[in-house]
Amino acid sequence: MRNPRVGWALLSPTLIILLIFGFAPFIYVLVVGFFDWNVFAAEDGLRFNGLDNFRRLVFDDLFLSSVGLTIRFAVFAIVSEIVLGFVLAQMLTRSFPGKSLFRIIHTFPLMVAPIAVGAIWRLLVIPGFGPVPFFLDRWLGLTYQIGTYPDQALMTSVLMDIWHWTPFVTLTMLAGLSSIPREPVEQAKVDGANRLQVFWYVTLPFLRPVLLTTVFIRIMDAIRTVDEVWMLAGGGPGTRFTGIYIWRVTSPAASADWGYGSSVSLITLYLTIVLCWLLFIAISGRRKGEVE
Amino acid sequence: MNQSRRRRIGSYFGTYAFWIFMTLLTLIPIWWMFVVSMRTRVELFGRPNLMLSRLYLENYSNVLTDSAFQRYMTNSLVVSTANALLVMILALLATYALSRYKLAGRDNIFFWLITNRMAPPAAFLLPLYIMFTRTFRLGDWTLFDTQLGLVLLYCVFNLPFAIWLLKGVIDGIPIELDDAAMIDGAGLWGVLRHVIIPLSAPGLAVTGILSWIFAWNEYLFAANLTSVVARTITTALAEFVTVTGTNWGELAAMSMVTLVPSAVIVLFAQRYIVMGLTFGAVKE
Amino acid sequence: MANLPPSAPPYQREEEVGARQRLARSDKEPGFLPIYTNAFDRVFISLVILIGIHLLWLRFMEPALPIEVATVISLAIGIYIVRRG
Repeated sequence: MRNPRVGWALLSPTLIILLIFGFAPFIYVLVVGFFDWNVFAAEDGLRFNGLDNFRRLVFDDLFLSSVGLTIRFAVFAIVSEIVLGFVLAQMLTRSFPGKSLFRIIHTFPLMVAPIAVGAIWRLLVIPGFGPVPFFLDRWLGLTYQIGTYPDQALMTSVLMDIWHWTPFVTLTMLAGLSSIPREPVEQAKVDGANRLQVFWYVTLPFLRPVLLTTVFIRIMDAIRTVDEVWMLAGGGPGTRFTGIYIWRVTSPAASADWGYGSSVSLITLYLTIVLCWLLFIAISGRRKGEVE
Repeated sequence: MNQSRRRRIGSYFGTYAFWIFMTLLTLIPIWWMFVVSMRTRVELFGRPNLMLSRLYLENYSNVLTDSAFQRYMTNSLVVSTANALLVMILALLATYALSRYKLAGRDNIFFWLITNRMAPPAAFLLPLYIMFTRTFRLGDWTLFDTQLGLVLLYCVFNLPFAIWLLKGVIDGIPIELDDAAMIDGAGLWGVLRHVIIPLSAPGLAVTGILSWIFAWNEYLFAANLTSVVARTITTALAEFVTVTGTNWGELAAMSMVTLVPSAVIVLFAQRYIVMGLTFGAVKE
Repeated sequence: MANLPPSAPPYQREEEVGARQRLARSDKEPGFLPIYTNAFDRVFISLVILIGIHLLWLRFMEPALPIEVATVISLAIGIYIVRRG
């Protein structure tokens, strides 16, 4: 009754669009990464140069430091978001009058365009009239200038990311918490477990799938962060994350070295895929000795 | 009676204090941008005043009457709307196929869809630029700097999530309803029109709304694959800083305008945002 | 990677547990890798390791030993993983 050909026909527009705009670019960087292609060279065109692009890449300090910075950014931001999001979700499990209003306001940053988030935070921290540098100087005597101090710029990006994405963690955690059945918790209490034990042995195992999904999605997003940080600091010190670095290297306006740009993209994709896979393994719980 | 009531209010006190604090943390940055958008350049400098001193709307009127800004705004609206409609149609067909037909390698197709969504867009900028300027061309016309290019490109990140979201919805419609309609003589389009679309309407609407906002918010592709004609509002915002680095009032006004759709969506589709962002893996 | 983790609590996932045990039994001998793998997974792991070794080689070993050595080493590791993983 159901002919698979009809199914493929229904699926084909989607597949064609994704093959052209999602898969072809991947093949493209995979090939061009092994070529020397400088658009402004005397003779335009591709020259095969084997691993030379990658030879240059592994000694490219700008690239390596961008990877390090991205990792630091992701760890700081995601750990804080998970902790904060869990606490907030816990606060939302009780019902109290006006809860939905608070929840809506808390969710708001999630849907704001990243570029607008960058603009919002830039206005907060801009030297001259931003309230943050002014009051830090007035009350604590701190000199705060993200254009000058890399650590401050990094921490500001982390705070911005927390402001933007904690609501997401809160909402997923809330979904996870409300799917936990009552009985195991009650049973554990009857058996004399204290709150910490209940949390560790009952709540956390139930939350595991949701927790890992959340971490997975947040890590992928953190790696891809470009717009908001670019808007905040314009690629100043402390915020040259990998995404921004690739953007600058491969941007046709900024660089003409397309072969090298492709190899940078390729290695970033490699790192992303490895991370993606490791996380997937962690999520799907295929570790040995866990089930038997 | 009175005492227990007082105790209840007391137990709420901590909760409210906490949530009011969190709400302030969320809103103060946005409030400050609003305040900046209501000030002249001279008023901005000096001691930061978080209070709104007066209603000064010139920044807004400057931005909204600027012909370039109007063009950016139109582009953003056209691209997001066209993309959302396209995604709704294609995702509905694709999900129906994946849900009702036995297709070889169905699971692998799902995995591949997700990787499309997860890949860092920055890594694809260069090949896309080359494709847009060199591969897709008819005489003088190229895909570069066209609304059509952006509409098709945004499918790369919107289609996967839309299909994942709709999969749960369509799987939830009993297949017996399809069969009954078919026995009554309905063809494929009949089934889609009389069974699938009416029953998945809420899910379809959410898909459309979230696709719309993701397309509206997108920056990186728009910044690199358009130059003048098809520039969107997010690129305009970013350019504002680099080109006319000093006019903060207008920048804030422009940002406030881009926030409006986000606010509307949070109000109306709040419950579905999580499902949208986690590909339906986490439901409420 | 058919689907992201189900948000259903663990006790509802007996199906998956069964699948895992079947997978474990279907392997001729348990491999040395710390996870259950099929042939595709092992090829994927080998490929990831191959690329990783080459990059590290380019960075640290290149002047002393040519890159072909890295290829040989990683192919050997790859074959070992595919066979015994």
